[in-house]
Amino acid sequence: MAVIDDVKQVLGETLQLGARADGFSADTPLFGAIAEFDSMAVVTVVTALEERFDIFVEDDEIEAEVFATVGSLADFVSQKLKA
Amino acid sequence: MTAALRQDEGSDGPPPQPIFLAGAAGPLFCLHFVPTPGKTPRGALLYLPPFAEEANRSRRMAVLQARRLAAQGWVVLLLDPFGTGDSAGSFHEARWELWLEDAERAATWLATTWPEISVTLWGLRLGALLAANLAARDSDRFSRLLFWQPLLRGDQFITQFLRLRVAAAMAAGEKESGQELRARLEAGEILEVAGYELAPGLVTAVSGLRLEALLPALQGCAIDWLELSTAGSEPALAPSSRRLLDSLPASGGPRLTCLAVSGEPFWTIQEITLAPKLLDATDAVFA
Repeated sequence: MAVIDDVKQVLGETLQLGARADGFSADTPLFGAIAEFDSMAVVTVVTALEERFDIFVEDDEIEAEVFATVGSLADFVSQKLKA
Repeated sequence: MTAALRQDEGSDGPPPQPIFLAGAAGPLFCLHFVPTPGKTPRGALLYLPPFAEEANRSRRMAVLQARRLAAQGWVVLLLDPFGTGDSAGSFHEARWELWLEDAERAATWLATTWPEISVTLWGLRLGALLAANLAARDSDRFSRLLFWQPLLRGDQFITQFLRLRVAAAMAAGEKESGQELRARLEAGEILEVAGYELAPGLVTAVSGLRLEALLPALQGCAIDWLELSTAGSEPALAPSSRRLLDSLPASGGPRLTCLAVSGEPFWTIQEITLAPKLLDATDAVFA
């Protein structure tokens, strides 16, 4: 499964988006664009991504650019997986 | 519609009584659910909520479960710990020791009000660590526990909690780090995180908690450990829980019954969310 599909699944589950997440593409804006994506949701998503991909996210990596779009978040995870 | 709603709420029993108990540092607000009249009470449960905003997001699940258990003949007390909900005190005045002492007082109140029945400690997330800690101090008194999605390590939980502030700073276009926030706490500063005034004393105590270290002291206790699993596949315990359970010594310690059911992590979700299978599984434990 491509990383972006896993990321969409995590977003759908943690933000309770249901079928909306299936319609996400790399360009779909996240933070500031989706009402459910508050700071608690950011933390939930980060924790879920850490568990799903067995990665560790540093606090200073939690920045707006990472959460701008579905694609930027998937890129971030891909970078982490290569590291 | 009304009938369906009533059934959903399980409200065939009497409505809960709001009461204030004498806590160690001020009155504690509780909701007291009693069994349907005519039913002999089978036992009591004391609910210990999770931390900060998680407690609000879980309130409806706790109330629904309490009603359902009361309909099965159980007494349930939902406690607002000191500094939270409608209890006395401010959040920054709350201390772990105080929460332990108040939980013990609430259990004593239950035992006095309903003599001859035993008290089960029921904790969600951090509340499960509180339940385990209390039972570990007095395992003769508490022989049955119910965990809902227990936290395994306090330090990891604090790291995640501090991230709320890191994420909020991100939203405001600023930058903070958990490390820097921890250093400020260590220097004695009270920090506001997601609308909660977090005191250094509470952080230190919570950071030192390990479920793994508490469990061996619960010799002879029966623990029902229920978790939710969101993955589409067969529900399974979280890998971290699995590892902890596998590492426990084969003999001594508590008698654990673990079960994962599918459902959403309602304590994190903004919109009030239910996990019906968790309610059903809990009903079955106390059937």
